[in-house]
Amino acid sequence: MNKELEHQFVKNLEKHQNIAHKICRIYTHDQESHNDLFQEITIQLWKAYPKFRGDAKFSTWMYRVALNTAITLYRKKKRSIKTQDYDSVHFKIKAEPYDDEIEKHLKLMYDAIRELNDIDKALVFLYLEDKNYSEISETLGISEVNARVRMNRIKTKLKNIINP
Amino acid sequence: MDNLDLLKKDWKKQEANLPHLSYDQLYKMIWKKSSSIVKWIFVISILEFILGAALNIILVDEEYWAEMEKYGLTEFTIAVYIISYLITFYFIYRFYRNYQRISATESARILMQNIIRTIKTVKYYIGFILISTGIVFLATFVLMIRSHALTADSNGTDMSFDTKQWILFIGGTLLALAIILGIIWLLYRVVYGILLRRLNKNYKELKKLGIN
Repeated sequence: MNKELEHQFVKNLEKHQNIAHKICRIYTHDQESHNDLFQEITIQLWKAYPKFRGDAKFSTWMYRVALNTAITLYRKKKRSIKTQDYDSVHFKIKAEPYDDEIEKHLKLMYDAIRELNDIDKALVFLYLEDKNYSEISETLGISEVNARVRMNRIKTKLKNIINP
Repeated sequence: MDNLDLLKKDWKKQEANLPHLSYDQLYKMIWKKSSSIVKWIFVISILEFILGAALNIILVDEEYWAEMEKYGLTEFTIAVYIISYLITFYFIYRFYRNYQRISATESARILMQNIIRTIKTVKYYIGFILISTGIVFLATFVLMIRSHALTADSNGTDMSFDTKQWILFIGGTLLALAIILGIIWLLYRVVYGILLRRLNKNYKELKKLGIN
């Protein structure tokens, strides 16, 4: 690995690090695990970087490697001391002048998303990131039809949580 | 506004609350050690290959060869060993090839499939070790019985077993063998079971969604 490649990689990573942070927020429950997963994503991205071809966008490629790390490669560490759950600071919903009702809905939805299984979380994440179904199905290696069907099911589930 | 559109809008706003690491922090991070599941699988598999080879070497001492010579089985044993090493090398080759195929740039389903395929190679290797150990043990057992009968004949003393003793002896030995091999198999399953619980669950889920 030469210096130029390192520089290029870290520059790209710095620019697109939000992707990894958002994945960490969905898949971990406390700050320490967030940092652990973020670090593993960074390592996996760097390891896979020689395979990155310039014809794809760095961000598109990063979605795939980072999600693969979260779903498959990352091994959760056992913690002897329970660190503070970052639920309280997790999603700062109060940042905007939402009304109380909307705020409550958002909180419920975020909580519901964190209860989903790993695969559904990935679907929701890609959906929230404005990815189309073709991209979602390619990233996860599932069929487009099934991605749609599953996403609709998750949407219904989330709607039911808000309007029981 | 649709509830999910609301969520989508909020999701974008959340970006402002995300941590931001500097170039230097990220640069340091890329050189940290990975603790990924693939690394664990690699280490455990290599240990298993070493263990398999070590068992072969430890169990076969000079005494063993002298014994084999006594029974005129030297050539046979050499042939068995050559075949056994060839099979082991084949497994190592397959393992290496499958391991190389694991890449985080594949789709999630293909990545999981490649990991599972790599582990299967090791599983078959363990199966091979257990079955071959069983066969060798049984062969030795048969030789022992034959030797016992010969000794009994030449001494002229009655050292032969009656039917009940034979059943107890053979049954006990087979049971001991089954227990030892069973424990090894169980240990193997437990190690990989813990390591792969999450992966298997996720793979099953993706496989379900992969079929049109």
